Amino acid sequence: MTAPIYITGCGVVSAIGLNQKQSLEALLGERSGVGLLTYLKTEHKEFPVGEVKLSDAEMRKLLGISENAITTRTALMGMLALDEAMKQAEITTEMLHEIGFISGTTVGGMDMSEQFYLDYISNDFHKEYISVHDCGNCSEMTAKHFGNFAFVTTLSTACSSAANAIILGANMIRCSEAEIVIVGGSECITKFHLNGFNSLMILDTKPCRPFDATRNGLNLGEGAAYLVLESEKSVKKRNAKIQAVLSGYGNACDAFHQTASSPDGEGAYRAMKEALEMAGINTTEVDYINAHGTGTPNNDVSESQAMKRLFGDNVPPASSTKPFTGHTTSASGSIEAVFCILALQNGFLPVNLNFSQAMDDGIIPVHQPTKKDLKHILCNAFGFGGNDSSLLLSKFEQK
Amino acid sequence: MTNKEIYVLSAKQISIQQPLSEEWMTNPTMYEVPFCRSIDPSFKEYVSPIEARRMGKILKRALATSKEALKASGLETVDAIVTGTGYGCIENTEFFLDALSKEGEQLLKPTYFMQSTHNTISSLIAIQTKNHGYNATYAHKGISFDSALYDAYLQFRLNKISSALVGGHDEMTETFYQILKKGGVIGFDNEICGEAAVSVVLSDKQENALCKLSGHKIIHQQGIDSLKEKVAKFLQENGKTFSDIDVILTGISGYKANDDAYMSETKALFGDRPLLKYKNLFGESFTASGIGFYVAAQCLKSGFVPRNLFVNEKDISDQRPNNILIFNRSDGTNYSLTLLEK
Amino acid sequence: MDELIYKLKQEIIEALNLEDMTPEDIDENASLFGEGLGLDSIDALELIVLMEKNYGIKLQDPNQGKEIFKSVKVMAEFIQKNRTK
Repeated sequence: MTAPIYITGCGVVSAIGLNQKQSLEALLGERSGVGLLTYLKTEHKEFPVGEVKLSDAEMRKLLGISENAITTRTALMGMLALDEAMKQAEITTEMLHEIGFISGTTVGGMDMSEQFYLDYISNDFHKEYISVHDCGNCSEMTAKHFGNFAFVTTLSTACSSAANAIILGANMIRCSEAEIVIVGGSECITKFHLNGFNSLMILDTKPCRPFDATRNGLNLGEGAAYLVLESEKSVKKRNAKIQAVLSGYGNACDAFHQTASSPDGEGAYRAMKEALEMAGINTTEVDYINAHGTGTPNNDVSESQAMKRLFGDNVPPASSTKPFTGHTTSASGSIEAVFCILALQNGFLPVNLNFSQAMDDGIIPVHQPTKKDLKHILCNAFGFGGNDSSLLLSKFEQK
Repeated sequence: MTNKEIYVLSAKQISIQQPLSEEWMTNPTMYEVPFCRSIDPSFKEYVSPIEARRMGKILKRALATSKEALKASGLETVDAIVTGTGYGCIENTEFFLDALSKEGEQLLKPTYFMQSTHNTISSLIAIQTKNHGYNATYAHKGISFDSALYDAYLQFRLNKISSALVGGHDEMTETFYQILKKGGVIGFDNEICGEAAVSVVLSDKQENALCKLSGHKIIHQQGIDSLKEKVAKFLQENGKTFSDIDVILTGISGYKANDDAYMSETKALFGDRPLLKYKNLFGESFTASGIGFYVAAQCLKSGFVPRNLFVNEKDISDQRPNNILIFNRSDGTNYSLTLLEK
Repeated sequence: MDELIYKLKQEIIEALNLEDMTPEDIDENASLFGEGLGLDSIDALELIVLMEKNYGIKLQDPNQGKEIFKSVKVMAEFIQKNRTK
């Protein structure tokens, strides 16, 4: 068993709330944030989405950023979530020169590029936005708002980006490269990937129904979440309050297809197994699985298979929280990790909304409100191309 | 944690020099153009026509260099595939963005979208080599390759892996070159904007290695004094003093502001140690540091540093270096140090 | 019908980027997926885009593709019956 990594702060922004408190209320109150497209300027109003309920201008105001500053929606959401995480962990600007920041994103500044692309190619208007197109820039912009971190980099593995950011951060701490690393991801909805997913015909025009027989695709979402990972040594030194424990993690490649998961869920199975082995816990000790559960015909059957292969006849209670937030793509790994931490702290199983009919060959997700004392939770995030990651989060028990 | 040694078993490249070859060491192609796409080999032996039809150059090059690097390494498989790319699959991103902007939001081609995400490269290599191991992609401009290398490096130290395929891949189209030049991102005076595809196989087994990877660190800018401190610490951790370093490989590229910064920082950090460069031959790209890694590894293995890599004439020497410290500077925001030894 | 079949072959070659093929290389009765031309699910999506773009036929369910794209001939017959362009 490896030394635990402590989580001493969390911040989360999504369709169901701008912080942990609002998110918890929505999860307990079974209130989805998925609805009509409001902020993104697109023709495709037929798709329900999980937008963060703030315009870019409103986010700037909250962050004290001037109207004229060059920013991207992904970075703005990231800043809001990072702010909450740092405050909870009591991390100040002065401390950042020894702290790492790792963020996951795939769209980066595409929300701006897609608006100004025709200008980019034919005139000089909006050229100041060209340099913020890439993923790395987004992370730097988010980090810079708070100060000068010791280390900044960006993961980009589609829907498992944030989960993989968490994994790198944990590895850094285990190698004593840093005592504190802030990890997670951020992603805003863009026309680019809304249309991209639509061209793959995996979006549903109705609210998504993970693990339901009638499921017909995903709803896109957006948001950001960061976790403050901290070594035992640092926690003791700072007397930091521990929110939860990162006991294990796994990363494996499905290696099947660019956009589909294998029928037997090989990558998912290996990632979950690795997480459990690292944590040194048995399958019987997992109290809940926060599934990737996008609601596409393909993912849900593949993920169900992976769970059955690993847990046999005793698959723990599982649910997808994507009906609450939509699929927040690159940020989903950290947003859902924070939801798992809320579940650990408050002793409840998040409900898989919109479920009514069991699918063939699938798991039956948690669909009734359930209070339960939870010790260990598996949190899955699977990206296009088979980038499958799984985190094992545990309740911190004060000894 | 372990102190096990990490060896560079093989390194292959496709760039503006002869592809998959070390001909640049004795017979380089010289360029005086602001922008040049890579010289491509025939991809037929690496990817079937039915598969190749969807792939932009970046994907075909990634497959070719990966397969060659794996073959040369003698390893059947690797435990991890980690890739760095600054801007990802630009060709396909451009196709999709172009269609979206000019034709609207209907009837868009799924293939372009599917092949546009950054992690397409790493996952395609895994699909083609049937590899279920660790797989990740980093996209952080000039330290994308360095981040991928760092990830693998940490996993070696944690004994999580015994081998890894680490890649740095970037492509550039004429359209994006013009856009990024307009945006002040690339295309500076006297710099060649190139493309880079590098695949490196690392292992804890020594057989026929090109060199050893002794240390690797990424630093986020914090002023020259802090940098000095961290560089000294890095060398100390690797049992070296400043005078133990034989040569330093820099990212001097021809662009005055970049080069002046390199010169002043290397002087402040390393005094008068001999400096090398490689971008005069390979051009600049977001994952050029991967090319730098490849160049250093080949120089150590062959014992020969081509004269045109030396920055200062007074340093030109036929002496075989025992080590090369790669000093990579990305926009003055991020730095990386990589120590390779014979 | 022959004219439509030939045109369709050209359009398929273009849409699926089958660079080294000519219409003469495609047997209109051979299966497009699996054994024949060896196309896959992403190609099916591209063909769905093609049908809407060039012939005004909108398929809501990608699974309908399995029957319609059995061969070029079957596809042409479907288009003939349902085209709005």
